[in-house]
Amino acid sequence: MTMVLASTERSAARVTPEPGWFRENRHAIIRHAIINFFMIVILAPLAWVLMMSIKSRSDAMRPDFWPRRFDFGHYAYVFDKIDTFPINLLNSIYVTTGTVIITTVCAVLAGYALVHMKPKGGGLIVAALLISLYFPTRVVSIISIYEIQDFLNLINSTSGLILPYVTLNLAISVLIMRSVFQLVPHEVVEAAEVDGAGPFRTLWEIVLPMARNGLVVIFIVNFVTAWGEFLLCSTLTNDQIARTMPVVLAGAQGGLGQWSWPALAAVYVLVVTPGIVAFTFAQKLFFKGLMEGVVKG
Amino acid sequence: MAETTLSDQMTARHAESFGARLTALRHGMTPWWFLLPAILFFAGYQAYPIFRVLWISFTDYQYLSSEPAKFVGLANYITAFNDPLMWASLWRAALFTIMFLPGTIILPLLLAILVDRVSNQRVATVYRVVLLIPAVIPSTLVFVLWKWMYNYQVGPINHLLVDIFGLFTLQNAPQWLGGTPLTLPAIAIMEVWWGLGYHTIFFLAGLAAIPRDLPEAARIDGASEWSIFWHITRPALAPIMMILVVLRFGTAMAVIDEYLIFGGFNRDSPTYTWTIFMYDQAFKLGLWRQGFAAAIGMIGAVGMMIVMIFLIRIFRPRG
Repeated sequence: MTMVLASTERSAARVTPEPGWFRENRHAIIRHAIINFFMIVILAPLAWVLMMSIKSRSDAMRPDFWPRRFDFGHYAYVFDKIDTFPINLLNSIYVTTGTVIITTVCAVLAGYALVHMKPKGGGLIVAALLISLYFPTRVVSIISIYEIQDFLNLINSTSGLILPYVTLNLAISVLIMRSVFQLVPHEVVEAAEVDGAGPFRTLWEIVLPMARNGLVVIFIVNFVTAWGEFLLCSTLTNDQIARTMPVVLAGAQGGLGQWSWPALAAVYVLVVTPGIVAFTFAQKLFFKGLMEGVVKG
Repeated sequence: MAETTLSDQMTARHAESFGARLTALRHGMTPWWFLLPAILFFAGYQAYPIFRVLWISFTDYQYLSSEPAKFVGLANYITAFNDPLMWASLWRAALFTIMFLPGTIILPLLLAILVDRVSNQRVATVYRVVLLIPAVIPSTLVFVLWKWMYNYQVGPINHLLVDIFGLFTLQNAPQWLGGTPLTLPAIAIMEVWWGLGYHTIFFLAGLAAIPRDLPEAARIDGASEWSIFWHITRPALAPIMMILVVLRFGTAMAVIDEYLIFGGFNRDSPTYTWTIFMYDQAFKLGLWRQGFAAAIGMIGAVGMMIVMIFLIRIFRPRG
């Protein structure tokens, strides 16, 4: 009896303020509802692929989101049965690593020189980089890049892809590093040089640690571009074995056997996860770097 | 002034081991050693190709032909301008831009205004992380993902339309991709999804620069939400707005990967834009008529740049 009373009291206490609470927070509730709607729109396609990758094959063609029977075996299956999968994955890792390292080195050196060494004609270089951002270089230059790669005997070569890949984001990477280095006071650089540090040591030991956030941004931007590049890879290589994983995946048609829908989805999850995980861990630095490098630049 | 003293000090320091002149020369050259790797890549794979393609566009260059290319002046440009496909393909690219651009600016702007008012820091961080997830999905993987979304067998979009809302039956369910009339809107929706979070983050950065007490003071003075938006928010976001409009106009007009994956080389497809026209001529048809293809590319690129200049003038922040 007392328990019933207590519970009615408690629920009454919970119910009474509700109308007023809703009215007071009406704006906040609607705001969060709209934001959450967009969050669901953003996440839904990814959730769908994730579910597809753990469905049993017989459930794959059924439209339901939740499978009747789970099957986690597709992840092992794709490594075993899709013969080019490990090679394509290694190609992706190899090309992306090469691109990220070379672009970062180029961008750090160039950005530093433009800000703290003030070469004559530096303004001209910045202008050229800026213009290249607005010109559809990627599309138009493909004709000439094919010719260059053919001349260098790099058609159908996985390593050869790194050269044009570096340039895809080079301009924006240099400009980002430039705005990040501008936040480092020039007195710091001068002090280091007066203390006898050469320009390279000043950059490596003093300035670069202060530009960590910008580095994270160009790491991620270049990783994303190289990992998912399509046009150059599909034009400059002919054999599936020379290509990167996303390009092979783009050509795959869902069907039976090794390319069944859950198998494709498992490949997809394996290829898309590294970027998302890396970003989630680095998000704090990434946001700071984005503010310093892109927005202020 | 500071630089002279600095280089004087450097010179004095090194005078014993190297000749003073040599050191001064080295000091003057060092920035260029730092710039060299970037310049090599930029010149080799970005600047040279543009000028090379410009030159090719004045020749009858055919890649697979053994005959040397001849200079033909403006012949390729005249052929292109007389080809109805050139105009149709430019119009198709413009049509896509019209479908894509408003959504990719306005939706993130609204979303940013809403997220900016979330006061709980932890919730706001979660929102920001989710918003940026599509931006860290590499391009091809976005296309593959949406190719499956739109798939008529297993795709969840048609599943929603047919089984859940009952708007269509399996027989008349929309065929989204593959060069149907729905292909351009379908790609536009995908691109808006892709850029939604990224652009929202940009606008959020602009909103963060507005002093907190400014809209509050206006509210106390009885200003309406709309006039706060128009007189405080809009001017603060104008520079970001201009950059986004111009850059996204550029990406939208020059889309190529999506059309290659979703449309193919059917000349009647709405995805057969100037970029695909160029690619088709350069790498698919006949002996690879790259002279003609280069002219198509140049017409598209220069046409785009002209519209961009107008856009910059229209959206340039005033005052």
